[in-house]
This record gives sequence, structure tokens and C-alpha cells, in this order.
Amino acid sequence: MENAKPILKADGLTKRYEDGVLALDHLNLEVRPGEIYCLLGANGAGKTTTINLFLGFIPPTEGACLINGIDVARDPLEAKKYVSFVSENVMLYGNFTARQNLDFFAKLGGKTALTKADYYKAMGRVSLQEKAFDQRVKNFSKGMRQKLGIAIAVVKDAPAVLLDEPTSGLDPKAAAEFLEIMAELRKEGKAVLMSTHDIFRAKEIGDRVGIMREGRLVMERTRAELQNEDLNRIYIDYMESEAAAPAAA
Amino acid sequence: MWKTIVRKELLETIFSYRFPLFAVICLLLVPLGLAVNDAAYAKRVRDYSDQVRLADEAAAAIKIQDIMAGTVAVRGFRRPSPLSVFTQGFENALPRYYEFTQDGFKPGESASDDESILSVQGKVDFVFLVQMVISLIAMLFASDMISGEKESGTLRAMLANSLPRDSLLTGKIGGGFLALWVPFLMAFVIGAVVLMLGAFPLAGADTAARLLVILFGTSLFMLTYFTIGVAVSASTARARTSLVAILIVWAAFQLILPRLGDMAARLVYPVRSETQVSLRKSLLVHALDIETAKELGHQWDVILGPASPQARDDPNSPESKKWAPIRDDIQLRARERKSQQLAAIDESYLQERRRQLDLAVNLSLISPSAAFARFIADVCGTGELERARYLDAVRAHEKALDAGLFSKVKRTLMIHEGGAMSMGFSATPVDASKLPKFSIVEASLAETFKANARSLVSLLVWLIAPFAYAYIRFIRYDVR
Repeated sequence: MENAKPILKADGLTKRYEDGVLALDHLNLEVRPGEIYCLLGANGAGKTTTINLFLGFIPPTEGACLINGIDVARDPLEAKKYVSFVSENVMLYGNFTARQNLDFFAKLGGKTALTKADYYKAMGRVSLQEKAFDQRVKNFSKGMRQKLGIAIAVVKDAPAVLLDEPTSGLDPKAAAEFLEIMAELRKEGKAVLMSTHDIFRAKEIGDRVGIMREGRLVMERTRAELQNEDLNRIYIDYMESEAAAPAAA
Repeated sequence: MWKTIVRKELLETIFSYRFPLFAVICLLLVPLGLAVNDAAYAKRVRDYSDQVRLADEAAAAIKIQDIMAGTVAVRGFRRPSPLSVFTQGFENALPRYYEFTQDGFKPGESASDDESILSVQGKVDFVFLVQMVISLIAMLFASDMISGEKESGTLRAMLANSLPRDSLLTGKIGGGFLALWVPFLMAFVIGAVVLMLGAFPLAGADTAARLLVILFGTSLFMLTYFTIGVAVSASTARARTSLVAILIVWAAFQLILPRLGDMAARLVYPVRSETQVSLRKSLLVHALDIETAKELGHQWDVILGPASPQARDDPNSPESKKWAPIRDDIQLRARERKSQQLAAIDESYLQERRRQLDLAVNLSLISPSAAFARFIADVCGTGELERARYLDAVRAHEKALDAGLFSKVKRTLMIHEGGAMSMGFSATPVDASKLPKFSIVEASLAETFKANARSLVSLLVWLIAPFAYAYIRFIRYDVR
């Protein structure tokens, strides 16, 4: 894994918004196949901006983000073929059934030859109840929507997965199921970049954990390095420190 | 990819509460409105046929004595337009007929004899439905098309895929419009079937072609309003904001701009009423007739006054032979003068109206709704073009009647020295069966398109400009 070519790479990534706010300041990070990278940080630290830049939603001010070696700013459509995205509040079409939503997003993801059976299999894989497959999504709980969002990512079968606060608001059972699916994705060799506030789950699932503050990556630790450390304490220390220095890439 | 977006947009609209409501409104109101207007049209045609028959009978019975007595009034009736079932336009406002006498012509009463409460409230016809109901629904369909997806986050979810934004925008417009257009098309077809069942003359090639133009024009109008709605939606971040903005834009386009144009034109170029012009013409005719009568009286007094009664009555007497060419010359000059001065009054009035109308039309074309209504009214033969054609036909008929009927009697009114009046007549026989028939030359479709070039350009501009605006806004939108 260490020697594999990174699927996701931020190279001196900087974003300054039109109002002058520096949201991201020379971010360097890499996520390799079969690796889960958890990005921690307070609100406004730059986690979602990082994800937005990887998805080509906004252009970078400086630097580049690459997906599978493709510069997102230069060729966003090609780059996005290699990435799936699951947001905090998975947004779906309420009047569509779970299968119709899955079908629509799968087709957008380039999967045009999937059958009903494929969709049922994907929804079963993320532990969505069978009776919900053909129900309208508008009555789904947050956990069910989250599962369906992951099913959409699973169906796309892209080498990289971006997750923006995916466990926020999930009950403990749903969160545990979510972690199991993440572990499966890792086994399949997906490169997963997950922004989260959830320190405990980050430590549990992350192969690497980075802490962001004011647009900078101020700390990065591997799973091995974190074995004997208190991530919660580290996080609080970095948040409270006045002038945190950027972490080495 | 584009097809996927179209399909999704179509399904999403069909599953929403708006779609069945719109379908019911269309399927109920369009055929019903056409059926009701068809019944009214059939009644107008029956009235027209009866009146033309009576007028023809009266014309056939005209005698030379009636012309000499000045009691002849010939009526020329306007045939109701079949396609007025789609839009009333000027149909009921135009005079049902013009009455022609030897002193000129005057309009008869208008066709508006409907005593239903709708006469006060405003009638519901196809164009009214499209302008006031379908246009609003088209904009509401588009209201949350972009802003709703921004607000709910589904736009992020879609754009996280390798989906070109232009495909997304055009796909959304295509699917959303299709969901709007299909129920309308069904309602239109059902309406056409209802008309055919009511023995409406749809079979003619020209009527069928006009029907297709109405369908095309209405579809273009709906797409225009839909695109305006998309532009508003693309420039707002919340569906509720879009809704409010759309209601304001709709009210401006539908209710304010078309009327502002007319109001401004009336203020800038005021026009006299037809009654004022008619009165002025009557006064002029009267003054010229008196002047001519005085000149004739004077010449008669000079030439025939001293002659014996036998010499006056004998057309071969030297006095009569001298008098006849002088009389004819005075009358010819008087006719030419009258004709020139009346034409000048008409021309100045027409210029005033043209100037006002041009300004009103140009200003009202700021609104696509006014452009649409003008175009469809002209296609249906109830618009400005028909009004102009009607007046042209009236003027042509006046000349024809003057040549074939009224000029057969020459009246020579004379006012002598001291104010005494006398009148002489000369008449040639009239064949009442050969009197010209009143008819209006209908504007062809090509002429209609030519006359409505500005309306069509306005509609196209209002289609392209909002699309371009929505496109730029959407392409440049930073998804956060």
C-alpha cells in the first residue's frame, strides 16, 4: 500500500474565496488504494472545501488536486469518473423509490447496463431493509438515506470514495454498520477520504488521520502511530494551540 | 447522460402534485373553452347568414327613386372568423357591418351581444388560458428546477459525477418542458376533436395549417415562459425565493408591461376618436356642398336666369348647351376637391393611429405575452391585421358602390342669389343584381408571418436571452 500510486492527491492545494477568506492553505495529502484517510477538524477548518475541490465544485486558487493522476481543475469530467461521493445529508429524490434513485445515480456514474438484481444486491450489501427497496425515499430515516448513498457509491465502483461527515447524526447501530462497509471498501482496494468530527470512529477505521485547522493540515498520524496515543487529547491540543505549524506531507 | 436527465426530470415532475393538477386544468379547460366558443361562433355564423340574406334582398329591391330620395343604405357584413374559437381578439369589438350611403360609410354595432356574466369579467378563451394560466404554471414548473436542487443538495450529488453542466441544464429543460407540453398537446388534440364533432370547418388545408401554427406558437410561448422560469431559478439559491421572484416577473410580463406600452402610446401620441373624425368629415362635406351649390346657383342665375322657361327646359337651347358643361365642370371640381380633402382627413387620422399603434405595439412587445397574443390573434383572423383588412375592404366597397350605385343619380343642388334653393336630378338605370358584394381579403399565413415578424422576434429573444442567462449562471455556479 505504501508504494502504491496515490489515487487522491492534494498538492499545495489552496483556496481563497472571493470575499478574501483563506479556506485552504497549501494542503498536501495523499490517499492510496486500500487506505482510509480521516480528516478531522472543527467547523470551517477546510475539510468540506477540500472535498469540494476534489469534486471540481470550486476551482483552486493555487496548487492542484489529482484523482488517479488527473488534475481535477483541468479535466473535471474525466477525473470524476474515478470518484464516488457520499455527503453528510445524502440528498435523494423523495418522490423516487430507493431503486429509482439508485438507477438514476448509477447511470450518471456511467453504469448503464445494471439490472434490477444488481441494484437489489447493492442495497442488500449496505444492509438496507428489503422492504425499503421499492419504497419512496421521502419517508426514509437519515440512516436509511445514508445507506442508500453508500449503495450509490458502491454501484459506481470508483477507485476513490469521498465522504463528507458520513456518520454525523447516525445512531450507534447505523454508524457501526457504516464502519463495516468502509472496511469492505478498504478490502476492495478503494482509496477513501473521509471528513469527520467523529474522533473515535476516525481512530477505529482510519489508516491515517489528519487534523486540519484554519485551512492547514496541522497533524498527520498513521494507525500504528495512534495505537498508543490519545487522539482525543491530540485533537484538543491542536485546536487550542495558538500557532499550529503545518504537518509534513 | 442527457437522456437520463430528461427521463429523471420527466418522472420527477410526473410524480409531483403539480403534474396531475396541470393535466386536469389543461384537459378540462382547453376542450371546454373551445366547445363553448364554438357554440358562440356557430350562433354568429347563423346571424351573419340571416343578415346577409336580408341585406341582399333589400339591395335587390333598390330603385332609382330611393337613390334620388337619399334613403338607400347598403350594409356590408363581416363574416365571423372560424378560428375566433381560439381567441376572441377584435372579433366582438369590430363592427358586425358597415353601412354605406351616398354620404359615405359608418360602422354598425359590434358583435358583442353576449349577456353572460363573462362579458363583465372577461371571457375565457384558449389564448387567455395560455396567457394567464398555462404561462404561470410553466414558470411554476421551472421555479425549483435549479434552486430546489441547490437547496436540497441533489445538485451536488449529480455534479459529483462526470456530468457536463450544459447537458444537465438542457436535459432538465427538455424533461421539464416535456412534462408540461404533453398534457397540453393532449388537451389541444382533444379540443380539435371536440371542434370537429361540432362540425367546425377544420378540414380545409388553410385552417389545418393555421391550427398547426397555433400549436407551434403556443408551444414556443410555453417554452419561453418555462425558460424564463429556469433563468429565475438559476439565479436564486432557494426554491421559495424563486417562487416569489417568478410571481413578480410573471405579473410584470402579463399584467404590467403590455398595458404600460398602450398607456404610454396614448399619452405620447393621442388620437382623435372615429366619431370626431366622422363629424369633421360630415362638416367638411356639408361646407363643400353648400359652396358648390352657391357656385352652381350663381352660374345658373347668370346663364339660365334671364332665359325663358322654355329655353331652360330645352336641353338643346343655346343657354342649356352653355350651362351643361359649366355645371359638369363645377361638379367635377367639387367632387375632386371633396375627395382630396376627405382623403387628407382620413390619411391624417390613419397616420395618428399608426403612430400610436406602432409605439404601443413596439413597447408592448417587451412582454412575450403581448407578442404571443398579437401573433395568434392574427393567425386566427381576429387581430390587428383583420381590423386593417376590414377597413380596406370597407373603403374599396365604398368606391365600388359609388361607381355602381350612388353615382347613377346626379343631384344638382343650387343656392341662388337671395338664398333660394333648387335641385335638379339626372339618373341612369341601376341593375341591383350586379351590385358588388362586400368581402374581406383574408391575410394569408405568409402575410401573417410577415406582419408579425416583430412579435416572433420578441418571442425568440425572450426564449434565447433567459436561456443564455440561465446557462451562464449555471455554468459559473460554485457548488458549495
